[in-house]
Amino acid sequence: MSELVNLEVNGTTYPVQIALDRNLSGVLRDEVGLTGTKEGCDDCECGACMVLLDGQPINSCSYLAAQAQGRSITTVEGLAEGDELHPLQRNILATGGVQCGFCTPGMLMSAQALLDRNPDPTDEEIRIGLSGNLCRCTGYARILAAVQATAVELNSTSSS
Amino acid sequence: MTVTELPPFVRADGPDKVSGSGRYTADLTLTGMLHAAFRYPDVAHGRITRIDTSAAEAMPGVLAVMTDADVPDVHYTWAVADRTLFARDIVRFEGEVIAAVAAISPEIAKAAAAAIEVDIEPLPVVNDIEEALAEGAPLVHEDWASHTADDGIIRDGNLAIYSALQRGDADAAMASAATVVSSRYVADASHAAPIEPRAIVAQWEGEKVTIWTSTQVPYDARDGVCETLQLPASQVRIIVPHLGGGFGGKCGFHFEAHIAALARKAKRPVKLVFSRWEEFVAPDRRREGMIVELTTGLDADGRIVARKGWVGIDNGAYMADCAFFPQLAAMHVAGPYNIDHLSIDAKLAYTNHQPSGSVRAPTAPQGCWALESHTDELAAAAGLSPVEFRRRNLVDTGTTGPMGQTFDEIGALRVLEAAHAAAEGSGPLAENEALGLAVGWWPSFAVPAGAYAKMHGDGSVQLITGAQECGTGAVMTLRYLAAEELGIDVEKIQLVYQDTGAAPFGPGATGSQTLLNHGRAVETATRDIAEQLRELAAEQLEAAPGDIVLADGVASVAGTPTASIAIDELAGIAAGGNLLISSGTADVPEYPTLEGSHCVGDQGMAAWLAPQFSCHVAKVRVDRDTGVTRVLDVFAAHDNGTILNPIGAHGQVEGGILMGVGQALTEGTQYGDDGTQLNAGLLEYKLQTIADAPNIHTTFIEIPTANAGPKGSKGLAEAPNVATAAAIANGIAQVVGAHVTQLPMTAERVWDTANGTADQNGASA
Ligand code: FES
Ligand code: FES
Repeated sequence: MSELVNLEVNGTTYPVQIALDRNLSGVLRDEVGLTGTKEGCDDCECGACMVLLDGQPINSCSYLAAQAQGRSITTVEGLAEGDELHPLQRNILATGGVQCGFCTPGMLMSAQALLDRNPDPTDEEIRIGLSGNLCRCTGYARILAAVQATAVELNSTSSS
Repeated sequence: MTVTELPPFVRADGPDKVSGSGRYTADLTLTGMLHAAFRYPDVAHGRITRIDTSAAEAMPGVLAVMTDADVPDVHYTWAVADRTLFARDIVRFEGEVIAAVAAISPEIAKAAAAAIEVDIEPLPVVNDIEEALAEGAPLVHEDWASHTADDGIIRDGNLAIYSALQRGDADAAMASAATVVSSRYVADASHAAPIEPRAIVAQWEGEKVTIWTSTQVPYDARDGVCETLQLPASQVRIIVPHLGGGFGGKCGFHFEAHIAALARKAKRPVKLVFSRWEEFVAPDRRREGMIVELTTGLDADGRIVARKGWVGIDNGAYMADCAFFPQLAAMHVAGPYNIDHLSIDAKLAYTNHQPSGSVRAPTAPQGCWALESHTDELAAAAGLSPVEFRRRNLVDTGTTGPMGQTFDEIGALRVLEAAHAAAEGSGPLAENEALGLAVGWWPSFAVPAGAYAKMHGDGSVQLITGAQECGTGAVMTLRYLAAEELGIDVEKIQLVYQDTGAAPFGPGATGSQTLLNHGRAVETATRDIAEQLRELAAEQLEAAPGDIVLADGVASVAGTPTASIAIDELAGIAAGGNLLISSGTADVPEYPTLEGSHCVGDQGMAAWLAPQFSCHVAKVRVDRDTGVTRVLDVFAAHDNGTILNPIGAHGQVEGGILMGVGQALTEGTQYGDDGTQLNAGLLEYKLQTIADAPNIHTTFIEIPTANAGPKGSKGLAEAPNVATAAAIANGIAQVVGAHVTQLPMTAERVWDTANGTADQNGASA
């Protein structure tokens, strides 16, 4: 059974005709056309599909698309302001926290959610905040450094 | 250095990857595209007695169903051609493809694959290396004598490949030893587990097929398609979009031909995206399970006088690229030590497991773990500290390795001292904490590679390379080498890569050889353009070409900086006449010679070009009540020659070490009695998270190395994955008082070792 569902993604509303059992990651990728959200397992194990739903991080592979109607969805494509990369995106490149990049979108969304609720996290809090995102390439040190650098940068801009 | 203190490295693919605009294979959609699903057996070994595809074919939305009957009759794979695209008569492991379906949706494709009726009569399962090699074992390949194979391969029961290293007289020397220690170590199989599951899209236009695929080795993939579907290379084009990691798991030729064949039959583009379960069970690139038995004799000063060894390796059901594993594993258990009398037998055994293949530093982490655990046992027997024992026995500049290779300048002892000093300086240890140390080595692989370069009329450059970026940044670093040759800004250089239709041959992202080989090709190609620029500038400036210097975007006369012309301007002049185009192939460095040794079943792995050395010291904490080990810090020192890209190099060491932590503690494939994997999922097969990650402190001992890569560099990506598990093992042993003899060293195995209840199969003899 398919139904017309309105999904608000990165501030734009997309009407999509979808079966009610479809997961959000699949609908974002195949119907909305935003493939920045990745799928590494389809089973809540890897975090590659992380998006924000009303600001909360969720594994979109394991969330029904229809349930996201009426809520605001943010994907990695919604992080940058126009052509200007978000500080998290800029910093994860500068520190060397991107290798294959497949975990990166999910990692960035978890980091964004963390900094939104805790603008000045400790190392331990960053580790806990990102522990649902697997990265096989980097060993995580440079991802950790990118989040630290972003927190410092955002705090200095907000206090100046 | 902390992460922010390194010189900047701008990844050309970085903005794509952080913004979400970069396309990976699974992100591609073509008009009219169908979706593929495979049908697998439910057993690890059996005889197919009936396949009926009629119900699947009759399902609405199904456009093609294929089995062995629908493809050319070709057996393939390197060394022993033991494999067909689809199972024929016998299935030999749980992830073998019996049939494939293309349908208008992934759901219909899956339902149709399930609707194919397959009757399989179970056969006895070969589930273990020693069982496989035992007299009278059921055969994995009854008929393998009929397959073509490389010369010198002995086809004996389930013994796929046999190699033996021999030097001196190990028996006589052992008899004279003051101390003799024997050990047995057993490592489980494990996985590359890239976060991107593999994906393939194939589309035909007339007689030509374009295949977008998540492979590390585009040319191997192309050659596999050509061989199995009997097509000329000119009709097959492989394009790799961004690749979401590989670690060897995406080396080799995998499923490109299945999808191309489906697309041809269905007359539509077809896409395959693997589930995580498929990623665990189907590819022929699993890290091999291994058994290592070592006996080493020492003299009264704690110097090694002889070593004897036996290595058993699980090949799985088909030959992927394991032919060289026995010899390579034997080298790893011989180790980077001065040993005049050596005798090591290594056997690769067919089993009914998923085929093994080159996963990041194949055979090395397990071999090093066994050897370096044994080495700490030797140190204890000799009454020496682990570091002192290694000081006395390690190879170094001017000494001769276990197979008779005399080393030019190497950093074996320097990495030992550097890692040891860094760890010792890190402060006191708490209760149940220890520092475990291990040394590893790894060869560099020299192979042919090519590059084209062209400078456009505006001074921008395209570098067309057969190199494959799997995430390491090695391909991205090629721009820096080109910019330096040409004296222009790196931002002016654009890469064209991962397209067999455009670029000259390259061996792919395999064997840590991207910069080593493609770097030399890129240097050669861009040096040619630099020469052309010098000649043009010499004409313009009325000077000799040899006096022209290219730097900062300007060609100037040496000693007369005012006599200069912008390189962009030269490019504009060339655009009206002789175009600035070039090609380069790298001369392959010569492999060193060996003396006084002998290899049975030689696969060319005993002479090591530009060997890389590493020492890792792991600070571990073991919870004695639960057996849970935490790795707090790893102090790593590496000799990888000249470091070309510091951020990239640190990233490789950090990623390799964390993979090593996983191999040490949690990553092991468990098999049921029926030969199927019990933990083929990321919840059951646990990768390390950021919460588990130790702090990693890396030192590079930079020795510019002759007869190696650009500027004296060696390979780098695999070496960091060699010694970590061994270092952790030696730390755990210090805390619990005995060596854990099975890998991974799970909490249960550590607890059993600490409490004297360990499984005797893996226990020290
Ligand atoms: S794809 Fe959603 S957690 Fe892995
Ligand atoms: S960068 Fe490859 S998985 Fe994280």
